[in-house]
Amino acid sequence: MKTMFALLKIEGKLVWKGIDILIFGICFPIILATLFGYLLSKDATAGSSNFELSYAAVITIGVLATGVMGLPLTIADYRHRGILKRFQVTPVSPLQILFAQGLIQLSSALVSFIGVTLVYYLFFDYQIAGSWLMFLSVYAFVIVAMYSIGIFIGSVVPDQKAANMWSSIAYFTMLLFSGATIPYEVMPRLFQWVMDILPLSHGIHLLKMVSTGGETAGMTLPIVILGICTVISLIGAFKLFKWK
Amino acid sequence: MILKVENLSVTYAQKTAVNRISFHLKPGEVIGLLGANGAGKSSTIAAVLGIEKSTYDELVIVGKSLIGNRKQIFEQVGVQFQETHFQDKLTVSDACEQWQSLYKKTNDVPALLQAFGLEGKGKQLVKLLSGGERQRLAVLLALIPEPKLVFLDELTTGLDIKARRMLWKQLLAMKENGLAIVLTSHYMDEVEALCDEILILCEGQTVFHGTIQEALAASGNTKLEDAYLHFAGEEEQWG
Repeated sequence: MKTMFALLKIEGKLVWKGIDILIFGICFPIILATLFGYLLSKDATAGSSNFELSYAAVITIGVLATGVMGLPLTIADYRHRGILKRFQVTPVSPLQILFAQGLIQLSSALVSFIGVTLVYYLFFDYQIAGSWLMFLSVYAFVIVAMYSIGIFIGSVVPDQKAANMWSSIAYFTMLLFSGATIPYEVMPRLFQWVMDILPLSHGIHLLKMVSTGGETAGMTLPIVILGICTVISLIGAFKLFKWK
Repeated sequence: MILKVENLSVTYAQKTAVNRISFHLKPGEVIGLLGANGAGKSSTIAAVLGIEKSTYDELVIVGKSLIGNRKQIFEQVGVQFQETHFQDKLTVSDACEQWQSLYKKTNDVPALLQAFGLEGKGKQLVKLLSGGERQRLAVLLALIPEPKLVFLDELTTGLDIKARRMLWKQLLAMKENGLAIVLTSHYMDEVEALCDEILILCEGQTVFHGTIQEALAASGNTKLEDAYLHFAGEEEQWG
């Protein structure tokens, strides 16, 4: 416990000293939330308004920035610097420092979630239509899926450069083409087909359904896809992880 | 016996990096692994510590087999790897605090910082330390668990003469108190100052194992450096 607390404190300091999480994980989604509040239509005659639908998308940006970008970069960095190797010859497993890092990244994602939610609620009178419990469960599931992808990338990349490349590819593709920033609904059909491949599209789709209180019948397929993606990522990470 | 290594071998793909090396260490003893770059010194250390795959007849650290006893063993063993890197924004005091938190029992860190000439550097980023200071910090961290056995891989590379002497003094004092040390070094004055025994490696083979006096006698030289070259160099010509 003493160890975990100290590791959390130090990893926390290290993460928060870096400005990237603050910009990409927290400020960016909050600014986007504010912009959407002004720009998107609040006309809800055809079910849910575009603005209402956007909430489910914007709250995944922090998850994406920390899970798919921050986490794999740190895993690769700690491996590259031999920090994992140094932990291997202590009584504590190197997994503990990675776990501490993961928790800190997750806490940043939650700060982002709270910030975006406050913007939607306080400035634009947003109200979630479905049940909070259901919504938070699905959100947690999406977090697990995205972090698994990040852990997978961090586990298999041979070096820093590759970590940078693959996490950027995963991050920007999902940021732009899964509906996190540009709504799925406005995309041309061709793009929508591409988007259907990306795991986060399914996560956002699920979150949209539970946040608008829509029917839950269509949830099985996205849940299965995200579930498979999580399992494959974690098994792959477990099998292919390198300490040095 | 604090460390017992019997016929340890390390093989990478086709190449044998370390071939059937054996040595023992009692409390308060220091052994120096010597050899050219790539002779197998670091591979030996990594294999003894269990982070490199190896085969052996016997491998006992602080009285225990590494298999299944990792946690207990590393409570009592400190390691300084060649070229220690730290997290980008880590400060000296954070580095110490982090390392302290990993062990049940630890040395007095402020006293160590004082002894290693790093007092007053606590708030400084590790990456902004000079090369010598960073190296001293790496050795200091290896001593944090109040170890019975410590592995120091090129412990004074990059240190100035004064800092080296200071480090030797510190290590000799700890040796008096029973600390056993496995070190690698390219400096023969350092080896003479610290080691009870040396093991010279050449392409993974043990070409000499014994005390410094024995090395001098066997090679017919009066200086350790010449004796070292006699053993390490001769083998090279054969290879």
